[in-house]
Amino acid sequence: MSGRVIVITSGKGGVGKTTASANIGTALAKLGNKVVMIDTDLGLRNLDLLLGLENRIVYTIVDVVEERCKLKQALVKDKKNPNLCLLAAAQTRDKSAVTEEQLKEICEKLKEDYDYILVDCPAGIEQGFQNAVAGATEAIVVTTPEMSAVRDADRIIGLLEAKEEIESYRLLLNRVRPNLIKSKDMMSVEDVVEILSADLIGIIPEDTGIITSTNKGEPIVNDEKSLAGRAYTNVAKRILGEEVEFINLEEETSVVAKVKKFFKGLMVKEK
Amino acid sequence: MRDNIFTELYNKLLGFFRQAEEEESAKDVACNRLRVVLMQDRTNLTPQLLEKMRGELVELLSKYLEMDKDALELNLEQEGDQMALMLSIPVIRAKDEEEIEKALAEEESKETELESTEQETTEESQEESQEKSGEESQEESEEIIEDSIKENIIEDNLEKDKTIKKVKKFPDKEICGECRECELSDDIECEKKNPKKKE
Repeated sequence: MSGRVIVITSGKGGVGKTTASANIGTALAKLGNKVVMIDTDLGLRNLDLLLGLENRIVYTIVDVVEERCKLKQALVKDKKNPNLCLLAAAQTRDKSAVTEEQLKEICEKLKEDYDYILVDCPAGIEQGFQNAVAGATEAIVVTTPEMSAVRDADRIIGLLEAKEEIESYRLLLNRVRPNLIKSKDMMSVEDVVEILSADLIGIIPEDTGIITSTNKGEPIVNDEKSLAGRAYTNVAKRILGEEVEFINLEEETSVVAKVKKFFKGLMVKEK
Repeated sequence: MRDNIFTELYNKLLGFFRQAEEEESAKDVACNRLRVVLMQDRTNLTPQLLEKMRGELVELLSKYLEMDKDALELNLEQEGDQMALMLSIPVIRAKDEEEIEKALAEEESKETELESTEQETTEESQEESQEKSGEESQEESEEIIEDSIKENIIEDNLEKDKTIKKVKKFPDKEICGECRECELSDDIECEKKNPKKKE
C-alpha cells in the first residue's frame, strides 16, 4: 500500500487548519479509508483536543524521533473509528525537536500501512512549516474570505509552488458567511478563487456547531445534519476523486430554510 | 415653512440614495486592496518603483502619441499562471510624422549634449590634473599603472585558477606532474621514469 501524504496549511493562524484536519481525517476514515493524522505543531498541539483524544496520548512524535518508542506505539486510535489514528505533537518541546528528514522518514513508513496521511501544519512560514511540508506530495491551503488570511494564503501558495515535492495544492475556503457575501460586506468565494487563482476543494460555511463540536471533542462530520459537517464530507469525497457539487450556501442559510429547520426541530422534540 | 420641510426631506432622501450609489461595497474595497498588495508581494515592486516605471513609460510613449498623462493606468494582473502588465492610456491624438521625427531628433540632440557635457567634464578634469604640479601627476599616473598591473595579475591568476580546475576535472592519465616535457617525448620513457622517482 502506498498512501497519499496531504499537508493542511494556511500561513495565518486561526483560520481552521486543525479543525479542517480533524474533520477531513474523520470523514475519510468514515468513508472506509485507513487514515493517520500527524500533528506537527510542536509546543502548541491541539488536534488531540478536537478529536477528544487528549487523555489517551502516551507517546508523541518526539518520542518516536528520539527512539523512546516504536512508531506504531505512538499512534493513538480514535474512539469511534478504528481506521483513524493520531500521531500527537509534543507539548513540551519546540519546533526544532523534529527535522524535515525525520518527518519525511515517518511519512514514508506510514505510507506503507495507511491510505491517507494528513499533516496538520503549524501557522507561519518558518521551520515548522518547512518540516510539515517535507514529507507531503499534496497540500490543502485553508483560508477565509478575509484580507489577511487571503494574503497569507498567497504567500503559502508561492512557497508551495517552489517546492518540487508538492505535486498539487487546492484551496479550502473556511468560515464563509453567505449573508455577508449577499450584502457585499464580505468577499465572495469567486473573488477569493480569482485573486488566488487556485482550484477549490471545498467551501465550509461559518457554523456555530464547530464551537460545540470542539468543546465536546467530536468532529462536526459526525453530525450529519450540520451544514459544515456535510461540507467537510464533500471535501473528503473530492480528495477520493469523486466529483461532488459545492453546496449552495445561499439557499441553505436563507430565512426560509432556517424557519423550516426550526419547525423540524420542534417536531422532533414533540415526538 | 412647509416648503422648507419638504425640500429638506427631499434633499435628505436624495443624499441617502446618492450615498448608497457612490459608496463602494466593503467587499470591493477588500478585493481592490488585496490585488494591489498581492502584486507588490509577488513582484517586489514597491509603489515608488511602480510610479517611476509609470513616469518613464509616459516619457517614452509621449514621443509617439499625445496622451492624457494623468489618466494613465498601470496595473499588474494575474490571469491563471501568467502575470500581465496592463497599461491603459487614453490617447488624445496620434502625432504627425513630423512631430514624431522632431521629438526623436530632440532626444538625439539631448543625448549628444549629454555626451558632450560628459566629455567636457572629463577634459576639464584632465586639464585640472595637468595643471597640478608635475610630480604629483607623475605619481598619480604611476599609481594608475601599478593598479592596472595588479588587475592584470589578478586576472591572470583567475585564468590560471580556471585552467587548474579544468586540469583537476579532466586529469590526463599518463602525464607525470613534474616533467611537462614528457608530453612531447615518448610516453613509455615517462612511465618508466615515474616509478623510479617515486621510489
